[in-house]
Amino acid sequence: MTESFHNRLMFVIAILLAIVYLFPLYWMYITALKSGSEMFATPPSFWPSVPEWGVYAEVWQSRNMGRYLWNSMVIATGAVVLISVLGTGCAYVLARYRNVWVDIGLFLVLMLQVLPASLMITPIFVGFSQFGLLETPRLAVILAIAAKSMPFFIVLVRATFMSVPMELEEAALVDGNSRVGAFFHIVLPLARNGILVSAILIFMQAFGEFVYSKSLIQAIELQPASVGLNSFMGPNTNEWNKIMAYATIYVTPILAIFVLLQRRIVSGLTSGALK
Amino acid sequence: MKRITSSLTDGKGFDIVLIAFPLGFLFLLAGLPLIYNVVMSFQEVDMFSLGSFARPFVGFKNYIDLFAQPETWPILKNTALFVVASIAGQFCIGFGLALFFWTNFPGASWLRGLFLVSWVMPGLVVGAIWNWILSGDFGVLNFLLKESGIVDGNIFWRSDPTFSLWAVVLANVWLGTSFNMILLSVGLSGIPKDLFEAAELDGANAFQRFWTITLPMMRSSIGAIIALGLIFTLQQFDLFAAITSGGPNNSSNVAQYWAWDLSFRQYDFAKGAAISVIMIIFVMFASVVYVRSTRHEVRG
Repeated sequence: MTESFHNRLMFVIAILLAIVYLFPLYWMYITALKSGSEMFATPPSFWPSVPEWGVYAEVWQSRNMGRYLWNSMVIATGAVVLISVLGTGCAYVLARYRNVWVDIGLFLVLMLQVLPASLMITPIFVGFSQFGLLETPRLAVILAIAAKSMPFFIVLVRATFMSVPMELEEAALVDGNSRVGAFFHIVLPLARNGILVSAILIFMQAFGEFVYSKSLIQAIELQPASVGLNSFMGPNTNEWNKIMAYATIYVTPILAIFVLLQRRIVSGLTSGALK
Repeated sequence: MKRITSSLTDGKGFDIVLIAFPLGFLFLLAGLPLIYNVVMSFQEVDMFSLGSFARPFVGFKNYIDLFAQPETWPILKNTALFVVASIAGQFCIGFGLALFFWTNFPGASWLRGLFLVSWVMPGLVVGAIWNWILSGDFGVLNFLLKESGIVDGNIFWRSDPTFSLWAVVLANVWLGTSFNMILLSVGLSGIPKDLFEAAELDGANAFQRFWTITLPMMRSSIGAIIALGLIFTLQQFDLFAAITSGGPNNSSNVAQYWAWDLSFRQYDFAKGAAISVIMIIFVMFASVVYVRSTRHEVRG
């Protein structure tokens, strides 16, 4: 068996594995385009006979998706801004020093990362209602998501800061920069890519967040797309082509960002999550 | 005054400011709720006392009531089953894929990254897709299983109590496999190649090399990944909300969904808090294992 034949064989197997694994995604895209009767046909068709492209516009209109997606956007953007502003500095300090206090801080941060949202929502809901935060439900969700996701961001960004050589910052200090100047002009620009990738990851998570939004936001006009999808799927629904069209509109932008930035996201994730 | 400002711009004060705000924020929005949760689990909470802090303390009554309910033990059993089955499935398939892509043919890293799309998708969308795939009469999975002769009749994944939990496990394995694979790939690439060459020269076959080199060298990675898997599996909520809603008759209910259901469907916040406390203690135990197994890496 020659080397190139072996490589080609492995590549073909890998493609087959990817096809099997990504089949659910394919099924979402295909179902959205099927007509009502074709959807329930036995045997199911694996390619729509007459693709109905109008379904996207119809679902967008009837489910008022513009509003849902806008709310998702507001929540995700708010959470990312809050997390980036607060988390970057924290990650920088935790990367800069090695002592007992840093170990304790890191340990606490890691511990907060693991609390399941569905278990934390009970005290958050009761506490927020007592402080009147439920009057501004989207802000409440932003705060809750920020508290939930910031530890993950800190862990990822800390790994980025660790890879910035300490000598560069020291050289800047010797040259007469203040600590603030060295941070903003030397360290931050060097860590920019890692911070950006982490922020994108956080954004994608917050864009699909469900538990907090479902529990804290009562008013339909403030709910994000995940809650909208949940209320679309009643217990005895049969509008699966429309639900899949909704899902398509919802996830395609996320998937597009992911495929474009795939290499960076994967390397950012792997450097931070285990190290 | 001048000393303080110069410390803020050019000394330890700068670091303290940078770290004080995020830690304060985390304490307010994650630490305090944690404490409040414990307090609430010892109180009597109903819709009327929701707005006030002064609620009557009832000792362990919530916990005793909780375990007196007939559904509690089955739900805890479901949780254990869900966690074990999900982790086993994710880990085995993920490890298999990681070993496969480790052979490093052209295009391997790109294709491997493609698998991660499952991980970035919103959980509710994944749940919706699987809900449709697992549908009893028209689901494509039943069709494929019947065509390949594995089953004779349709399996009603979502409404049959014997299968409802496995429906969610299936979706969760799909969701978590890629993450396991990527982390295991990182661990695999950390093993020095010359170890394998030496073993090959000594005449060890592929199975022996896997058993005596790969597995022992991966020990700390595997420990971390299983602990992480436990943490992520206990966070899984969206799939339950999208596929079975814990039903039918609690047959697919797990503790993390039940806690939410008690609080927000039955408005029994005290019991919701009680089950949360039990689960959080459990999760914290898992995360101590995780932090310990990555400690040498944490120190950089």
